[in-house]
Amino acid sequence: MIRRLLIANRGEIALRIVRACRELGVESVAVHSDADVFSPHVLAADRAVGIGPAPAAESYLSIPRVIAAARESGADAVHPGYGFLSENPSFAAACVDAGLAFVGPPPSAMARMGSKIEARAIAAAAGAPIVPGDTPADQSNAGVRAAIDRVGFPALIKASAGGGGRGMRTVRDAGDVDSMIDAARREAAAAFGDGTLYVERLIEGARHVEIQVLADNHGNVMHVFERDCSVQRRHQKVIEESPSPALTAGLRARMADAAVAVARAAEYRNAGTIEFLVGDGQFFFLEVNARLQVEHPVTEEVTGLDLVRAQLLVASGEPLPWRQDEIAQRGHAIEARVYAEDPEQGFLPQAGPLLLYREPNIPGVRIDAGVVEGSMVSVYYDPLIAKVIATAETRALAIARLASALRAFPILGVRTNVPYLLRILAHDAFSGGTIDTGFLDREGATLVSVDDKEVPAHVRAVAAADDDTRHARAADRETQGRWDPWGP
Amino acid sequence: MGPVTRVGNGVFTVEVDGRSETVYVAGPAHDRWVFWNGRVFRGDFRENRSGGRYAHRAASLRALTAPMPATIVKIHVKQGDAVAKGQTLMLLEAMKMELPIRAPGDAIVSAVHGREGQLIAADALLVEFAV
Repeated sequence: MIRRLLIANRGEIALRIVRACRELGVESVAVHSDADVFSPHVLAADRAVGIGPAPAAESYLSIPRVIAAARESGADAVHPGYGFLSENPSFAAACVDAGLAFVGPPPSAMARMGSKIEARAIAAAAGAPIVPGDTPADQSNAGVRAAIDRVGFPALIKASAGGGGRGMRTVRDAGDVDSMIDAARREAAAAFGDGTLYVERLIEGARHVEIQVLADNHGNVMHVFERDCSVQRRHQKVIEESPSPALTAGLRARMADAAVAVARAAEYRNAGTIEFLVGDGQFFFLEVNARLQVEHPVTEEVTGLDLVRAQLLVASGEPLPWRQDEIAQRGHAIEARVYAEDPEQGFLPQAGPLLLYREPNIPGVRIDAGVVEGSMVSVYYDPLIAKVIATAETRALAIARLASALRAFPILGVRTNVPYLLRILAHDAFSGGTIDTGFLDREGATLVSVDDKEVPAHVRAVAAADDDTRHARAADRETQGRWDPWGP
Repeated sequence: MGPVTRVGNGVFTVEVDGRSETVYVAGPAHDRWVFWNGRVFRGDFRENRSGGRYAHRAASLRALTAPMPATIVKIHVKQGDAVAKGQTLMLLEAMKMELPIRAPGDAIVSAVHGREGQLIAADALLVEFAV
C-alpha cells in the first residue's frame, strides 16, 4: 500500500485527496506555490513543500520541482489531481522513473489518450462509433482549411492536446476560417505547448454524456455509470448530473460496453472518463480524459463509492474493491460549479479576497471547496471556488435542493456565477431535461439578464444600517450573548 | 419592515411582512457587498449616494481598464475611430484564456494605451473615449 502520497495540485481537489488519504491511513504531502502558503490544502495535509513562485509554469506545472518535492518529502506515490500536470505523459513517466507510483494510467496509455487524434483511432478500432472528422497532415492554415472542406460546415477546430474547451473553435462558413484557425492554434500552443489541430463535424443538438471507467492491474475493467455534462458554456462544463435524463437503459448499457471496450483497447489503468455525444438515440465517441474529473462527486453520490480511494488502491497494485454487478445508481445527483467570474462582464474571471464565505449545511448537499473565509482568489489559477453537489431521490428534488443550497451560500468580495447558476436551474428547458450542449451559448443573454438590479428595501436598510464600525460595535453590545454564543 | 438585528459576524436579520430575512454584509461602507437569497449587491448604500455599480457604469463610458493582469494580444482600434457598442477593441490574454475588450457603447476613441505583446497590470488604462 502507498505509504506517503504527494498531491501535485492545489485547491478543492488537493483537499479531496488529503481526506481520502486520511481515511486510508496514508500520509499526505501538499505542494504549494508562494501564493498558496496558507491555503487550506496546505494546512490540511500532513506535510507541505514549497515548489516555487505563484505563476503555475514555475510551480504546479514544473515537473522537476514537483519530482524534487516528492524526493525531499520521502513520498512513494504522486496523485496529479486534474488540470496542471495530470494529463502530461512526461510527468507520469518522470514519476515512474523516480520510483514513484503514479495515481493514474501508465505514461504509454496516457500518451495514447492524450493525443485526441490517436484516441479516435483506438476507439474506432474498439468498435465505438466516432464523430466524422479529419486530421490534416499539413498543419498550415491551407491544410486545416482543406480538412474543414472535407468535413463540411458546421465544423469544430480542435486541439490534439486539448481539454477544457481551449484551442477549440466552431466554424459555420468559410468567411472567418483563417482567424478561427489562428486563434485555436494560438490558444492550444499557449495552453498545452502543442498547436496541432484537427477537425470534427459539429454535431448540433447533441448532449455530452460521459462514462466513468476504472481499471486495475489484474485485468478488471468496470464502468461506474454516466454523467451528463450538457450544460456547458463555450465547452466549459457548468452543471453536471447523474443519471443522464437523456439515456434509456438500453442506450446506457451500450455506451457503458463501448466505454469498457475503449479502456481495454487502450490498456488503460486507474480512473478515466470516456466522453460521448448523444443525440437521436445514437452516440459518438468524443475523447478520453485520462484522470479524475472535476465532476467525479456526482458519480460518488449516486453510487455511494469513493473513487479517490479506489484510485489509491489500484495505484498500490490492489484489485478494484468492487465488481460490476455489485454497484448501482441510486437517486439523482447534480453538481454546480461556483466560479469567481462575472457573468455580466462576459464571464471575466474575478480576483480578490473572500470577505465573507459561509458554506450552507444542508442534508444531501456536499460542498467540495478549496477556500475559506479570508482566502484570496488569485489571478494565477483556475477561478473555481467550490463545487456544490445536491443529491435526492429524484431529479426534480435534486434541482430544488441545489437551488436552495445556492441561495443559502453567501460569497462576498468577488463576483460569482451563483445568480447565473440559479437562473439555469430555474429554466424550463433545464428542468425539462431537454437541453443540448448549445443551450447556454444560445440562451446566454437571457440567463445573465440584469433586470433584477433593484435593491430590495430591506437589503438597502441592512447595508446602510451597518455603515460604520461604531454602529457595528453598538450592535455587538446589544446582541452579545443573546444571539452569538461564540461572540467575543 | 422591522428593525435590523446583528446576529453574527456580518450576519443580520430584518423582518419583512412578518417573515425574517437573513442578509450578509461585508466590506467598507463606500464599497459594500451584500448577499440575500442568492443575490449579491455591491455599492455605496449610504443616504444620498448613488450605487457604486452605476458610478462604475458611467466611468466605463469614458475609459476601459484591464480587468486583471494580462497580455495585449491584439489592438483593433486607433485614436479617432468611431466604434459601436459591443465592438471588440482589444484582445487580451490572461490565464490562458482570450479576453475580448468590447466597447460599452457607441463612442469615438480618443486614446489607445499599450502595444501588442505588452504585459499590463490590473486596472491599467486601455482605451479612452471622447465624451
